[in-house]
Amino acid sequence: MQTTFTEDQLKDPGIQRANEILRACVHCGFCTATCPTYQVLGDELDSPRGRIYQIKDMLENERVPDAKTVKHIDRCLSCLACMTTCPSGVHYMHLVDHAREYIEENYRRPLSDRVLRWVLAQILPYPMRFRWALIGAKLGRPFRFLMPDARLKAMLDMAPKSIPPVSRNDDPQSFAPVTEKKMRVALMTGCAQKALNTDINDATIRLLTRLGCEVVVAEGAGCCGALTHHMGKTSESHATAAKNIKAWCAEMDGKGLDAIVINTSGCGTTVKDYGHMFRNDALAEDAARVSALAMDVSEVLMKLDLPDGTDKDTVVAYHAACSLQHGQQIKTYPKDLLKKAGFMVVEPADSHLCCGSAGTYNLMQPEISGQLKARKVRTLEAKNPDIIAAGNIGCMMQIGSGTDVPIVHTVELLDWATGGPQPRALTEPGKTVPDIPILR
Amino acid sequence: MDMPTPNPEVLAKKARIVARLKEVLPVDAVISDEVEVRAYECDALTAYRCPPLAAVLPASTEEVAAVLKVCHAENVPVVPRGAGTSLAGGSMPTADSIILGVARMTEVLETDYENRFIRVQTGRTNLSVSGAVEEEGFFYAPDPSSQLACAIAGNIAMNSGGAHCLKYGVTTNNLMGVTMVTMEGEVIDIGGAYLDAGGLDLLGVICGSEGQLGVVTEATLRILHKPEGARPVLMGFDRNEVAGQCVSDIIKAGILPVAIEFMDRPCIRATEAFAGAGYPDCEALLIVEVEGSDEEIDAQLERILAIARAHSPVELRESTSADESARIWLGRKSAFGAMGQINDYMCLDGTIPVSQLPYVLRRIGELSKDYGLDVGNVFHAGDGNMHPLILFDANKPGDLEKCEAFGADILRLCVEVGGCLTGEHGVGIEKRDLMVDQYLPEDLDIQMAVKDVFDPKWLLNPAKVFPLASSEARRMAAE
Amino acid sequence: MTGREGPAPLGSPLPIHPGIFEGQEKMMTPTTEAGLADLVAHARDPLRIQGGGTRDIGAPVQGDVVSTTGLSGVSLYEPGALTLVAGAGTPLAEIEATLAAEGQRLAFEPMDHRGLLGTSGTSTIGGVVAGNISGPRRIQAGACRDSLLGVRFVDGAGRVLKNGGRVMKNVTGYDLVKLMAGSWGTLGVLTEVSLKVQALPEAVGCVLINGLSDKDAVAAMSAALGSPFDVSGAAHTPSGVDGHPVTMIRIEGLEASVAYRAAKLTGALARFGGEVSVERDANKVAAGWAWVRDVALMQGGVGDVWRISVKPSDGQKVIEKLRALYADLGVLYDWGGGLVWVQVPEGTDVRSVSFDGHATLIRSSHETRVFLPVFHPEPASLAALSRGLRAKFDPRGILNPGLMG
Repeated sequence: MQTTFTEDQLKDPGIQRANEILRACVHCGFCTATCPTYQVLGDELDSPRGRIYQIKDMLENERVPDAKTVKHIDRCLSCLACMTTCPSGVHYMHLVDHAREYIEENYRRPLSDRVLRWVLAQILPYPMRFRWALIGAKLGRPFRFLMPDARLKAMLDMAPKSIPPVSRNDDPQSFAPVTEKKMRVALMTGCAQKALNTDINDATIRLLTRLGCEVVVAEGAGCCGALTHHMGKTSESHATAAKNIKAWCAEMDGKGLDAIVINTSGCGTTVKDYGHMFRNDALAEDAARVSALAMDVSEVLMKLDLPDGTDKDTVVAYHAACSLQHGQQIKTYPKDLLKKAGFMVVEPADSHLCCGSAGTYNLMQPEISGQLKARKVRTLEAKNPDIIAAGNIGCMMQIGSGTDVPIVHTVELLDWATGGPQPRALTEPGKTVPDIPILR
Repeated sequence: MDMPTPNPEVLAKKARIVARLKEVLPVDAVISDEVEVRAYECDALTAYRCPPLAAVLPASTEEVAAVLKVCHAENVPVVPRGAGTSLAGGSMPTADSIILGVARMTEVLETDYENRFIRVQTGRTNLSVSGAVEEEGFFYAPDPSSQLACAIAGNIAMNSGGAHCLKYGVTTNNLMGVTMVTMEGEVIDIGGAYLDAGGLDLLGVICGSEGQLGVVTEATLRILHKPEGARPVLMGFDRNEVAGQCVSDIIKAGILPVAIEFMDRPCIRATEAFAGAGYPDCEALLIVEVEGSDEEIDAQLERILAIARAHSPVELRESTSADESARIWLGRKSAFGAMGQINDYMCLDGTIPVSQLPYVLRRIGELSKDYGLDVGNVFHAGDGNMHPLILFDANKPGDLEKCEAFGADILRLCVEVGGCLTGEHGVGIEKRDLMVDQYLPEDLDIQMAVKDVFDPKWLLNPAKVFPLASSEARRMAAE
Repeated sequence: MTGREGPAPLGSPLPIHPGIFEGQEKMMTPTTEAGLADLVAHARDPLRIQGGGTRDIGAPVQGDVVSTTGLSGVSLYEPGALTLVAGAGTPLAEIEATLAAEGQRLAFEPMDHRGLLGTSGTSTIGGVVAGNISGPRRIQAGACRDSLLGVRFVDGAGRVLKNGGRVMKNVTGYDLVKLMAGSWGTLGVLTEVSLKVQALPEAVGCVLINGLSDKDAVAAMSAALGSPFDVSGAAHTPSGVDGHPVTMIRIEGLEASVAYRAAKLTGALARFGGEVSVERDANKVAAGWAWVRDVALMQGGVGDVWRISVKPSDGQKVIEKLRALYADLGVLYDWGGGLVWVQVPEGTDVRSVSFDGHATLIRSSHETRVFLPVFHPEPASLAALSRGLRAKFDPRGILNPGLMG
């Protein structure tokens, strides 16, 4: 499209990047076909093309964002299905992230919004605080009807029924490979995931060490910054990302790393974007190194020798997380791995459409999120699966809250198939939760 | 681009119009905020933009009727909009008009495999119509390149085609019935699950009328069983003329491929850089696809390849797997995106008799030098529907105008050799002024007389199709 | 006098001639488009537009006859582009011969009405287009209007007009080409038509099933048409040439393809019972389908003939309802059941049986055509649009006025 930024405006590297992206867009509208919010709302303003158009208008004219534009940008899931669809290679993710930052800096949200977002930013990236919040939510659940705000209700609803105790496997340490050593990898233990479900990291560690990886949890690493980044709070997201960059570079420069393994695809997309996020920062080079080494756990597993599993009479519906299929363009590895392990893999119709989790989206946009969840659950259940597998904790929580079909992380199934324990979600209801194994 | 002056009376009563619309629609279905309406100021032809008075998103035929009644009473022009993928500016508004978007009407109303039809709300995308019948092994044949996103409503308005229409026909050959709302808000049903008109073919004139005769909210479409298989073959030639002759010979031999696509060197090179499909670097490339069982495909390809070999191709590539077929198509399907990476482009749509292919390509090459603008040609060779892509820089002053002048020359050339201005995209605003090159005043007058019958007040998309000078008297009389 | 016979005796079921009242009308045969335009522009009274005079369908029109037979000749024929342009008065036979010489044909297989209506004369391509005359292959290749690329015509004010052109893909302005097709001369007098043609197939075959009930036959035809085997004709009659029910399913194409598909269809249709065989003799297949195309079953028969277009699965339901009311119906299903030809007692109004679709009275006595609408009456809203269009194209109402109701 034609853009009208002045030379002065283009001196800002953020605007320069935005201009590049906007010029690539030809306004063809293909992206509307795969945008979940456009499917639900049918409004050009809630489509990627429309959002691009609003962002262009806002940035070119240096407008103070108005409530309506903010509403439409807020409604974006950042599922990035549009990027997969776009025939012109428009980097929508960078554009909308920039717009969120611009909004955060220039728009005064209503008080309740600001408070809510501040609270989320202060809690979710910090596992200990998040645990306390979850306990509080669990206690407060009976009182959800008192909640004035739909979003607060949504939060209470999202709190899991059981909150796992802290896993010491998430502390900085190194796990030796059980078989001949093939790689040394860093495992990102994440933030919210640690508080919600410690089994995923445990399964990851078991599986990787079983297949010959030395797995190290780096000292000083923590939240990847995705949650705050997608709220436009870039100073906070950059701060926590910087810690990760330093922690992993220390390992790279120390004993060396073959990969940085991430088992939450939402985070993986962000870590792979560190190079872009920090391109104008002193940490640019280190950030690029980290991005280059970042891999989803399924990518790493494809490089290792997953043994062929016996044919199991188990139908696994594979849910392709947006961040994995669109953000990281990894579409076949998890399915290939599950099939290799002996599972029967099926996919739901419209598998390109988001489940509505999208980071904090299910908390901030409960109506749209709810509709997308309903659609996703319907298409998954239509396949009559025994298990649903996903590569992202957010999806697991979202879909899990809408179906009785057990939902587990892909690595839990692969771990189980290669000698690990049966995933907790598959144990019969009512059984007591077994002790978390200590792996070292 | 000239557009009619917005009616000041309508502009003055904007608040009342919006209020009346809000009475008949849910509140989130009326968009009137000054900033928000800008998202509706253009479709895929971004060179021309004008924010509408308001945009409405009805979710049912009844709501559409209610909207049109209000607009009829208030003399407000209405511009229907499907998915907004038109390359001809078909849904570009004027400042006094309402955009009526059907994107919220996407339901499948009835599928009947025994009688081979599907009835849908017209906001549904083209590809998702096929998607709805895919599991039973059926499909909806017309496949415009934008089929992922374009709406049936737009397909009907523009009588859209696609690569497969060589064998299966265009939208009007696959449309069996419509439910349409007139500008007065009357809901009429034409056609249905039975074939042909019992009287005058009103359906035939509605299809391709670019949203000027009524708003089509539901459509009955013909569905067919998918063929057992399909396979493409890629042919490279060192001269455009030879490729053109090969197309003619294949058709004369009595083989009807399901698609014959043509790409010339500039397009091939751009596409290779972008998608790396492994195309040969030659002057002209053909992709010919045939359908049937494996043996039938083999039989047809044997004939086609024999014809191709008689023309000494620089490359002949057959496919032996689904992957290879996808790779053969990959370049063609990425062509537009690839050209868009180089620069902005204007996509033309002129159609010519197949026999004129070599001459027209040569002339386009000459004009390209004259104007100093590069052109790539990719098109449906089987029916002569060309898509010259003129590269220009939207951010360079004067380039757009030069590009448009070049485009107009190409389209006049198409008419000159016995073809027409537009094979698929429609006239919209883009080719309005060239209508006088194809039609005499009385030919345009009888078409406008048809609109007089359906929409005497000329409120439905009035600024499209006909040169403004031609339609002025009618539009003024209505105001 | 021009040698035509007098009016048919009252009460006779089969008019020997279109109802011309002796000595009142003259026949004019302009030889140029401009001449025709001039004629129409100066006409004061209703005109009866006629091609070859073989398809006397519609409410009777009284008026001087304007014949288009003077506007004859193929002006362009490009086999490699599948395009043919000819004067509207060109005999159909000439066009078919021209095409056959290059191994091509008209895709839509137009019916020859002479046998059924007892008319004589030479059908013109303009008449075919004006009536949207299509045959069994309509189900696969489309109707006449789907092969029509462009028209030139003279409207009721005497203006020479054109729409469309020579190319298949054409969305330049409104599609009046479709509107003119099947307008039976009430919107304008066609002077020239451009058509997309088709290659003759290398081979042809017909799957025959004997002994199916109407219901099973329609189901079998649906199964065939809903298969990937590209059926180009699907017809059934309870009373075939030998008096027994026969269902016919035609396939055309390359030799290997026809053999393959015939075998596949035979297999797929076995479940409907009946005696299945395959005819591969091209002449026999052609003869069989000409029998269907021209409704030979009802030629020389007693009673009126109606042509009903419905959803295929409704076809036999309509016949069932009619059978409950009348005995001895002649029945022929074409288009897989979606086109029902029925021979009924004289004066019967088949529309009294309700159905979703339309019924056209093809053959009847002159009187019946006066009091029963020949063309299916339209709902008020559509009738208003049709009236409005006629008023625009023919402001003085002189072109075949009232023919379509």
